[in-house]
Amino acid sequence: MFEKVLIANRGEIALRVIQACRELEVATVAVHSTADADSLHVTYADEAVCIGPPASSDSYLNVSSIVAAAEITGADAVHPGYGFLAENAAFAEVLAECNLKWIGPSPGSIRLMGDKAKARQTAADAGVPVLPGSREPLADGTAAERAAKDVGYPVILKAVAGGGGRGMRIVRDADELENQFNTASEEALKAFGDGSIYLERYLVEPRHIEFQVLGDRHGKIVHLGERECSIQRRHQKLIEEAPSPVLTPLLRDQMGAAAVRLAEVVGYENAGTVEFLLDHDGRFYFMEMNTRIQVEHPVTEMVTGQDLVKWQIRLAAGERLSLPDSVPVRGHAIECRINAEDPRRFTPSPGRIESFHQPGGPGIRVDTHVYGGYFIPPYYDSLVAKLVAYGENREEAIVRMERALEFFVVEGVETSIPLHQRIMRDARFRSGNISTRFMERFLESSGDRPRVEA
Amino acid sequence: MLTFEQIKELIELVRERQLLGVEIERSGFRLKIDGRPAEAVTVVAGDTKPEARTAVSPGPPAVTSTGGSDAQAVEEAAAVAEAELAGVHVLRSPIVGTFYTSPSPDAEPYVRAGDRVKRGQVLCIVEAMKLMNEIESDEDGVIEKAFPKNAQPVEFGEPLFAIVPD
Repeated sequence: MFEKVLIANRGEIALRVIQACRELEVATVAVHSTADADSLHVTYADEAVCIGPPASSDSYLNVSSIVAAAEITGADAVHPGYGFLAENAAFAEVLAECNLKWIGPSPGSIRLMGDKAKARQTAADAGVPVLPGSREPLADGTAAERAAKDVGYPVILKAVAGGGGRGMRIVRDADELENQFNTASEEALKAFGDGSIYLERYLVEPRHIEFQVLGDRHGKIVHLGERECSIQRRHQKLIEEAPSPVLTPLLRDQMGAAAVRLAEVVGYENAGTVEFLLDHDGRFYFMEMNTRIQVEHPVTEMVTGQDLVKWQIRLAAGERLSLPDSVPVRGHAIECRINAEDPRRFTPSPGRIESFHQPGGPGIRVDTHVYGGYFIPPYYDSLVAKLVAYGENREEAIVRMERALEFFVVEGVETSIPLHQRIMRDARFRSGNISTRFMERFLESSGDRPRVEA
Repeated sequence: MLTFEQIKELIELVRERQLLGVEIERSGFRLKIDGRPAEAVTVVAGDTKPEARTAVSPGPPAVTSTGGSDAQAVEEAAAVAEAELAGVHVLRSPIVGTFYTSPSPDAEPYVRAGDRVKRGQVLCIVEAMKLMNEIESDEDGVIEKAFPKNAQPVEFGEPLFAIVPD
């Protein structure tokens, strides 16, 4: 086991890692920018080193500063948390050169999964279903028709050079394809100066389902079940839950096996998450693999009783993965990401927290780094707390979450608590009949049109 | 633990209100700010011999602290606070690493207290990852003191030198 771990991160995840280290009796080093000098992770770590001014690029992303901090404190391992340098293979390599153990997968795995095209290919080679698509630009309407026939309708035409919905067309059958192809191409040419179009299978009501995996040095890979993260706004997750309300045991076995197979093929070590999109007809497709611990890891911890961060540290220290191939999942957990932001415009709301009282009681867990009097700096993300509710089933988890949201006091800044309360009351959410289109519809129907970002 | 800012505020308070003194006791250390002008005496942890230290300018509050390693941190912060309040410029480390007073173990230190220095002149080395980074003065003036000891680890923003500007 390590003597001393340096946490190359901040906020709630830094505190989370410190807690795991404390339980393993490993000393901790916090690094922080000048803006985070009063942070809780700095207070609770055994040692702290200021590594730079507020800007992330000069501090939490500053490789030489962080490595120097590890040197002067004599740390023997580094935990990168999530975000920042967590999936930076070059950083992992520098640490290895300095004889510091990286608490995460190999730089090779990080690089491979970080290249979306290679990751997709690796998945396909491993027999994991991938979203069918043409990938290459299509020469003309005829080529498009041929590709669409292979891929299967409905398809979505997308601009190679583009984004923002322009040059995109959903085509439900072969009759419309050629016309739509030409229109899309013209639109793309006007918008991006490049009329190249490719196509993919269009998923009507996809659900975001991800599987947590752990791997040890001896090649053993285990999955700890899935999380559903369909409640997203602009690709930012708001609410996550475990297990998914829609997965059948068969689907769970198939998807779990696919996740494990991919991790095995890659020789994956430590914690990782394989993300899938699940279509309304029960077909699933590999999207990407995240080679780090994730924000929403607590919901998996609640339903499996496993401490994923402690596992990360133990696996990095060379311990064997002593979990059964099928990890029992019990009950239901939901996590709400409480952000310091305007609940209608979703703009960040930094500032001083005047008073803070977190909910407790049965089945409630709060992961947070803030406290009454804490000044939320404007330089970093707006996550204030992760509120997790656990129940015997999804209904109880929702009831507990509602109660906890009501009892959560955060004054001085705006938070997304009111938004989460409205979602918990929503009939569609409560029914479990959700997809990645949920938030878009929810915001429209409740009269809050999604605003254009300033 | 008291932060640097808090210590600075306390010293200013003592001075402005012309208090006789302020004494603060927390677990781990005791801090005493004496408002009567006098030679300052610095004591660190019960057993160490007191060192005489001249006051920076007439009648500043004298700061003493007793206790363990927290006391040392508080004392260092107090020394820097006193320096800044007396109009002395404090050069802070732009990087993380190990502070060295001379270019190599056998060589003479770059500067000593009392030396006149120019902007751009190398005052010390902060070493990180085997790279010897030369730290240059950002002021013309006279070196009053170095804060860290030779081979002491320093963090970003850590006070390195007190320089009395010209």
